[in-house]
Amino acid sequence: MTSRIALYATLITAALPGSLLAEEKIDFAREVLPILSNKCFACHGPDTKKAKDLRLDSYAAAIKDRKGTSAIDPDDLEGSELIFRIHDEDDPMPPEEDGKPLTAAEKETLTKWVKQGGKYASHWSFIPPRKEKNAPKTNAIDFYIEARHQQHKPAISFAPKANLPVLARRAALVLTGLPPEPKILDPLLSDQSPEAYQKFIEALLSSSHYGEHQARYWLDAVRYGDTHGLHLDNRRGIFPYRDWVVRAFNENLPLDDFITWQLAGDLLPNPTTTQKIATGFVRMNPTTSEGGAIAAEFQAKNTFDRTETFGTVMLGMTFTCCRCHTHKYDPITHDEYFSLFAFFNSTADQPMDGNKYDHGPVIKAPANPGEWKLLQAFENKKNDAPNPAASFTTTTLIAQELPKPRVTKVLQRGEYHSPSGEALTPNIPAVMGTLPNDAPRNRLGLAQWLTSDDQPLVARVLVNRMWQRIFGYGLVRTPEDFGLQGEQPTHPELLDWLAVELQEKNWDLKHLLRLMVSSRTFQQSSKRRGDLDDPQNRFFAQGPAFRLDAEVIRDIGLWSSGLLDPTMGGEGVKPYQPAGLWKTLMHPGSNTKNYVADKGAKLYRRSLYVYWKRTSPHPMMTLFDAPNREASCVKRSRTSTALQSLALFNETQRIEMGRKLAERIITSAPDDKERLDHLYKLLACRPARDRERTVCLKLLQDLTKRYQSAPADAQALLTAGEAPIDDALPPAQLAAWAQVVTTVLASDIALAVF
Amino acid sequence: MNPLRDYELNLTRRQLFGRGALGLGTATMAQLLGSEALAQTPASPDGLHHPAKAKRVIYLFMSGGPSQQDMWDHKPKMKEMFGKDLPEHVRDGQRITGMTAGQKRLPLCPSKYDFQKYDNNDQGVWVSELLPHTAKVAKELCVVHSTFTEAINHDPAVTYIQTGSQIPGRPSLGSWLSYGLGRMNEDLPGYVVMHAKTNFGEQSLFNRLWGPGFLSSEHQGVLLRSQGDPVLYLNNPKGVSRTDRRAQLNALAALDETQHDQFGDPEILARIKQHEMAYRMQTSVPELMDLSDEKDATFTLYGEEARKAGTFAACCLNARRLAERGVRNIQIFHRGWDAHGNLPKEHESQCKDIDQACAALITDLKDRGLLDDTLVVWGGEFGRTAYCQGKLTEKNYGRDHHPRCFTTWMAGGGIKPGITYGRTDDYGYNIVQADGTPMASQPDKDSWTPGSVHIHDLNATILHLLGIDHRKLTYRYQGRDFRLTDIHGHVIKDILL
Repeated sequence: MTSRIALYATLITAALPGSLLAEEKIDFAREVLPILSNKCFACHGPDTKKAKDLRLDSYAAAIKDRKGTSAIDPDDLEGSELIFRIHDEDDPMPPEEDGKPLTAAEKETLTKWVKQGGKYASHWSFIPPRKEKNAPKTNAIDFYIEARHQQHKPAISFAPKANLPVLARRAALVLTGLPPEPKILDPLLSDQSPEAYQKFIEALLSSSHYGEHQARYWLDAVRYGDTHGLHLDNRRGIFPYRDWVVRAFNENLPLDDFITWQLAGDLLPNPTTTQKIATGFVRMNPTTSEGGAIAAEFQAKNTFDRTETFGTVMLGMTFTCCRCHTHKYDPITHDEYFSLFAFFNSTADQPMDGNKYDHGPVIKAPANPGEWKLLQAFENKKNDAPNPAASFTTTTLIAQELPKPRVTKVLQRGEYHSPSGEALTPNIPAVMGTLPNDAPRNRLGLAQWLTSDDQPLVARVLVNRMWQRIFGYGLVRTPEDFGLQGEQPTHPELLDWLAVELQEKNWDLKHLLRLMVSSRTFQQSSKRRGDLDDPQNRFFAQGPAFRLDAEVIRDIGLWSSGLLDPTMGGEGVKPYQPAGLWKTLMHPGSNTKNYVADKGAKLYRRSLYVYWKRTSPHPMMTLFDAPNREASCVKRSRTSTALQSLALFNETQRIEMGRKLAERIITSAPDDKERLDHLYKLLACRPARDRERTVCLKLLQDLTKRYQSAPADAQALLTAGEAPIDDALPPAQLAAWAQVVTTVLASDIALAVF
Repeated sequence: MNPLRDYELNLTRRQLFGRGALGLGTATMAQLLGSEALAQTPASPDGLHHPAKAKRVIYLFMSGGPSQQDMWDHKPKMKEMFGKDLPEHVRDGQRITGMTAGQKRLPLCPSKYDFQKYDNNDQGVWVSELLPHTAKVAKELCVVHSTFTEAINHDPAVTYIQTGSQIPGRPSLGSWLSYGLGRMNEDLPGYVVMHAKTNFGEQSLFNRLWGPGFLSSEHQGVLLRSQGDPVLYLNNPKGVSRTDRRAQLNALAALDETQHDQFGDPEILARIKQHEMAYRMQTSVPELMDLSDEKDATFTLYGEEARKAGTFAACCLNARRLAERGVRNIQIFHRGWDAHGNLPKEHESQCKDIDQACAALITDLKDRGLLDDTLVVWGGEFGRTAYCQGKLTEKNYGRDHHPRCFTTWMAGGGIKPGITYGRTDDYGYNIVQADGTPMASQPDKDSWTPGSVHIHDLNATILHLLGIDHRKLTYRYQGRDFRLTDIHGHVIKDILL
């Protein structure tokens, strides 16, 4: 008996993970560095200037002897000054007046780390991503998501699969920004096999709406606008860039080319017109020509903006701090900032835009799908036609390099009139690697580095934003900051796997999105779980659920009501807008002071094409959290406000959508129940539920009576918007249905992914 | 089930605590509901940083740069210097805009207007004949002659004073206040912006001046408009009555509840609540805008102009009505102060727009017992030069932008009434010490020089009066804890009660 117990005890001990026996090994990059960065580096970080001051951003600095003590003493770890000072009650570090005291847990982590040797390691995002050997070969998403389920207390597993209508709607919305067309939905609902789902996904990925939807996120990131953005905020001709982005996504241009063309299309050997159009990316910063502005000041400001937006979009890094001084947290020096700045400081465009539409350099560019087709045929050498560029009817802003680069020096404190030191050669921050040996020291070399295999950040940053589009939240919750102050990935191995997969599979965006929407993780029900304590879905143990973006909300209404004009591209369009919104703000000399709404089909184009005046974007966009596109935005806020409610019910186009969708469903079926089912089928991919039916039909009944007794009100309601009224329908019936439809269009099934 | 009831029950204690009327960081809807914004709570989620002197702020922003020389900063010695060159030692390296940089001479330009000294609670204050009404409330005002900035052009300067940065992308002052203070009135927006009419609509305004930057977009200013719907999309369309809307909202709540039963997304309940607030706003806003309950005395006070929607006077009256209703964050933008030429004609018109209404607002707030806890701020983005732009005559002249000193006034809400603060040299060009001797060096934003008020100092002081420590109201974005005042700002204690 005794011996059996003893044996048992031995077995248990052997099976226990090391952590319970010995002290757990502290992971510097994951556990310690965030504490040092957030609580110590402001004074003891990379920007600590004076040689006598303590720095804690490297091992060498931390073990340095300072009057007989060292922050970390390798010979007497327990006696390290760092441990003493963080526990010193009389004179604690960080000082009380800084208002950022260490928590007890943080003190413990730091203490353990020092006692374990106090060794340093690189921040995770600066180490090139690798796939783990044991990872599944084809799709590792569910493997890694499931692995972390064990860490939830109590352990959990995947949520059940969402039902097919929910799933079909979800997939269509995240890939194309619209509900699925009945012609692809119906085969899926009748078949239900996994193959049918894959076929459905392929149909979505090959829809031209796919590129339009994916492009919109990119346009937020690069701050696309149709106006200059500052002062007069005049018109700017750069929409061919927007149309190129849409086309690039639809054609699934590999993302390495996608990046290279935008950064440096003009520097490629014999660049095509398309590649030059793509360089609009470089020109996208807001510009001014305010009377009295000083050109040298705006040369610097424009280049700050380009450098920092490049950092956010491509590297997920914030460089703004090091405009004025060495970064307080991330290992990027003031000099390195200006070496990066130097890549962007030699473009030929004048810093002052002259308030001109075609502020040079510009090239002739396609203004519509027909002209794009000609260009594409020419560039693919599909015919012997001459270069069609001369016949194009618009121009677009492009990047061009000066024959002789501008001299770039460090600007002291970021002041344009305080250059100092030697002229700098364009270069990247050392912590992120080195430029390839043969890379030229210009934007093309920068692009070559970005798309090289060992670049640690780009692929991670891109796949994180893809994940965010599909799942509502990124694997890194701070998509704009992969630096020391950013959040750590919830699933680091998965992030790395996806990043490497992107690189290995020829930077194929559609492939990555296909992996995501095919995963069990994506297909889970989003019903909130009682066994899960995870309001922000960090375990991804329930399906995605989030409010849709402004553009999608509007597009769903246009699409379902049959108003949507599928024309792609061209000059920004102007839907209805309340009078005076521009006029009350604008300088009398501005050519965007008067808003003149379009007529006809242009009123009904996808929201991607809505004219973007940066100092006053369309209110139906900004009310629903669209950024103003003056600065890069890689994550929109999602709010719920009373003003949104007013807009959903009272904006002219919403009412117009309501009445046109009402016409569509009334004429689709002979009785109200079927009509309602048709409405729900369009918006939710399923018939109405019982309670929905009861509620809607009751509202319909009440409103029908009301409009029958007040025909003038019915008529008045039906005049909203330009679209013609179907005279064959009784106005009271149409008005009543219109108001029911408007109500349903304001409900969750038309506003959210679930 | 009753979803709203459940929703109230779902609030945690800390979140409830944050919802108090004055709770700093009054939890936003998104925060209450545990969405992504949860990670972002203001530095001090459990109350104000210190007791607030002001419960609300009314900011009268004069866009374009009012001329301190012609309105507030009396420079009698300039009379003798008419047409003489601005001495180099006075210019002291100041960069000047491209508009006058090419001028051969910078001839000094005394104001053509008479100034009179009015009693205040200290040494008295000089006010020009352009502001006869405002002069009469001198005992309530703290007139700051030494506000300064670095920006020399409108777009960067307006963006700077309103967002703390010359480059677009940061949250506006009003959005910071909305984020920090939340709201007191559940039936009106918490942050209201008005644009007043002007005869000289020079210069542009930008959504970013009341925009949320990287804060959640619920903190953007809500425009209260004089044209069309007072709040965008407020009114039901033709053919839809209030009863119809009620029926729609009842149906909508039922539809969303079934959806909530299915998926349990708390955002759905938040939305139901917002639909109800919208419904209430449809009566509270017209009630606000309906001046029929105002006595004739009101229009005697503010002037008959206050009956015309969109005038500065009407905006001021609205501001008082908003303040009475618990709206704590009110801004009026008045354009047209950019007088490069024909300054007299333009400024006479501009001052006529605002003078009586400014005085009326102060008097009215005081009469109603609101001035003590309402901070009123008046000022522009920079001042105007001591020298003339274009042709100088005794009767007509223009002035370029001047960053080194300009006049701002404040009243109520914990500000010392009836004082002046800061002094400028005999040219109205540089800030000088209280005894009139030059500063050892030009004041800058990096360290506070007594007697000077950098725009960051102004903003720090505004936040201070509202109970907020400008160093502690932060928002983590791109890895950095951003503040309205960046790494600058100093509360000007000398002007506080």
